[in-house]
Amino acid sequence: MPLPDHDLMLAVRDGDLDCMGELFERHHGPLYGYLSKLTGNRAAAQDLCQTVFQRMLKYRHTYRDEGNFAAWMYHLARRCASDHFRRASSAPAPMDPTDLEAHADDAVGADEAAASKDDHALLHRALGRLDRADREVLLLSRLQELSFAEVAGILECSVGAARVRAHRALHSLRDHYFKLQKDPLT
Amino acid sequence: MTCNDCLEHVAGLAYGKLDERTAADVRVHLAACAACSRQFETLGLTLEALERLPSAPPSHRMRARLMGDIEAEKLDLQGRAGWAASIRSSAERRPASWLAPLLQAIAACALLAVGFLAGERTAGERAATERRLADLGAKVDTMGMLVEQSVLQKRDTVDRLQAVLTVGSSKRPDERVINGLINSLAFDSSVNVRLNALNALYGHAGQEVVRAGVLACLPREPNPLVQVSMIDFLVAAKAHDAAPELRKLAEDAKADTDVRESARRAMDLL
Ligand SMILES: [Zn+2]
Repeated sequence: MPLPDHDLMLAVRDGDLDCMGELFERHHGPLYGYLSKLTGNRAAAQDLCQTVFQRMLKYRHTYRDEGNFAAWMYHLARRCASDHFRRASSAPAPMDPTDLEAHADDAVGADEAAASKDDHALLHRALGRLDRADREVLLLSRLQELSFAEVAGILECSVGAARVRAHRALHSLRDHYFKLQKDPLT
Repeated sequence: MTCNDCLEHVAGLAYGKLDERTAADVRVHLAACAACSRQFETLGLTLEALERLPSAPPSHRMRARLMGDIEAEKLDLQGRAGWAASIRSSAERRPASWLAPLLQAIAACALLAVGFLAGERTAGERAATERRLADLGAKVDTMGMLVEQSVLQKRDTVDRLQAVLTVGSSKRPDERVINGLINSLAFDSSVNVRLNALNALYGHAGQEVVRAGVLACLPREPNPLVQVSMIDFLVAAKAHDAAPELRKLAEDAKADTDVRESARRAMDLL
């Protein structure tokens, strides 16, 4: 049986740094997916993903015995992403939140330009229309390995607030998405 | 459960985050209520679409960089834990050999960026270096002082390692590069860096200055693993003038047994 993430991270904390390689293999894909949907920017997601793993190594001593690896990883990811958004908003050309809609993901950007009917592109646009906090709570809540309590912990709010915000964000995404499906030109 | 109660939980159900009891109650209501059921369905469709949204795979560079970070942290740990741990872990696995192709790709310009070979520019300085290497025993007593003398010591271990690996991959390194490698072998505090510097010097074992440099480093080398590697090198380089130094090591009761054994074998071979 493969070791659970938590055990691997405890091993990393206790000096067996090679276990970080296994954690990377397991999690970099989903984490990158999360960050690229959150930022709407592939290059930024790549950098942020890298930074999260670097910080795991650097701050491995802060990982707690009773910790939840996924919650800890997304907590670090949130810190990194908010640094990114702060930098982006102080840059001359603001990147957020329309960035997601304007550039989408490079992977589907071409599709979007070519055929706005494309479902992926519509969803990207819908995602871009949420404000960042809604996008964040929604993308975290859809992760099966996190409970609402853990999402609340990551967002540093109460469980009730996390639940309400997740609810609102999903309704809002659905409304944008369905509206765009009916009329892609809106 | 009323429609209002149900709508409060319907997103939670779509996210898969309700406790079993509440989820069951909501399902009972959904089965009987078309309006709420429609809500649940559209939220679910939205999340499914999100699930299907492709995201381009992250680049392989990310993995390579992380492996570099892990290696750097390891070197750092070894540095802090001191020589004993460093020797143990170096002996356990061939240090950083798997890392070389990755780092070479990442740090193609590391040599320039790090300014690694800031050393000797003129023939006079080179001669001075060789004298310095030869006179190390007389001039310097402790590894601490050695470390202080080294310009390389000012860099991060991983930078030096990258530089050494990059230099090692270079097809026709000039004399300055070779002197830099000998300097690393003599002065660097990291076992990994010293071993990789030695590996990089194999391609130039035919040069007198390289053989002399390795020979000069041998009695100063504190790590048995590096010492044994140096002895192997001298044998491969057919450094016949190494015999007196090898005899001294073979007869040195304080030396590591592996080192003494290697020195004896090397004397036979030479
Ligand atoms: Zn109802």
